[in-house]
Parts: sequence; structure tokens; C-alpha cells
Amino acid sequence: MSDSIYGLQVGHAVPDFELDVYDPVKDDFDKKNLSALKSEGKWTILFFYPADFTFV
Amino acid sequence: MAALAEQYDRFKKMGAEIITVSTDTQFVHLAWKKSEKELENVAYPMGADPTGNLSRVFGVYDEATGLALRGTFIINPDGTLLNSEVNFYNLGRNIDELMRRFKANLYLARKANEACPSKWKDEGDKTLKPSSKMVGKVWEALNE
Repeated sequence: MSDSIYGLQVGHAVPDFELDVYDPVKDDFDKKNLSALKSEGKWTILFFYPADFTFV
Repeated sequence: MAALAEQYDRFKKMGAEIITVSTDTQFVHLAWKKSEKELENVAYPMGADPTGNLSRVFGVYDEATGLALRGTFIINPDGTLLNSEVNFYNLGRNIDELMRRFKANLYLARKANEACPSKWKDEGDKTLKPSSKMVGKVWEALNE
């Protein structure tokens, strides 16, 4: 499952993605995409959680 | 989330962007951020995955509930997934442990022939250089 779409394994390439985000610093909506972060030489840490308004 | 907010600046200075993701929309993120005191110091972007598509890519989408499990993923600047941790709904994550793993990844990105053993915490701690000489001699390598 070298290029499996679901349940990506460590060591494999992450397919590019774009997310709508709320940026609390600008207090505005924005977009984040992996290719832009890569071109800035940044590491990306994704932190998933079940739902807003609950404990995280 | 408060613990993550506290250390967000450190992660950022060390070259990482943290994006939190749930299946809520960005509109709900805004409303939550503004009403929950626990999120007072949050500066990281809060990502919206209402279709669950990104959650599915990382194997954390729960089809039964439409929610994402507590998964944390470290991706290097080349776009390779290097680290993955998933907890069930009822267990929170330790941000010091996330920082430890991020530091180890940064270190290993510069030292391709080394390995960080389980007790590695920070730069300067003992690392291993796996080779034929270490076969059967891991104890000696760790305790020399």
C-alpha cells in the first residue's frame, strides 16, 4: 500500500491538501496548504481532535 | 488545547507550523475560540475538515460518529510523514511528549546515521549508530 489514500503509514509521502482555517492572530479566515508549508521549508504538525466545545 | 497554546511559539521558532483539525467548520472554530477561556492564548490556525476527507487520509475519521479521533502527525519539509500517534476519544495528549518527538525528528534530520533510543529527551542525550558492530551489543552501546 505504497500510495494508499486512507490510513497513511509513516515513511510515506503526504498528498497535498488545503484546509480552510480560522487564524486567531489575524482574527480572520484563511487557507493553509501543505505545498506552501513545504516551499517555506516548514515542518507541519497536524493535531486532530473530535469536536469544538468539548475537552481537547 | 491550552497546553498546546503554551508551547506553540516554541514549535514555531523551531520551524514547525501546527494546525489543529476537527470536522467543525472555521465558523464554529471562531465562535469556540471567542467563547472558551481555555482557548484565550491560542495562536495556532484552527483547520476545518467538515467533509472528513483529510481525517480519512490520516486514518482518524470515525465513520460512526463523523468525528476525528485524537491523532497527531509530524510531516517533514519534504512532505514525508515521520510520526503518527492516535488516541481514542477519552485520552488527551501530552504536549511535552510531542515536543520530545519533534526535537528527535529535527535531530535525526541532521544525523541520518543515528537513532534516538527510548530514553532520548534532548540534544546531547545518548544516541545509537546502528551497524553490524551493534548486533547483540545494544546494552553495551547504551551503557558505554
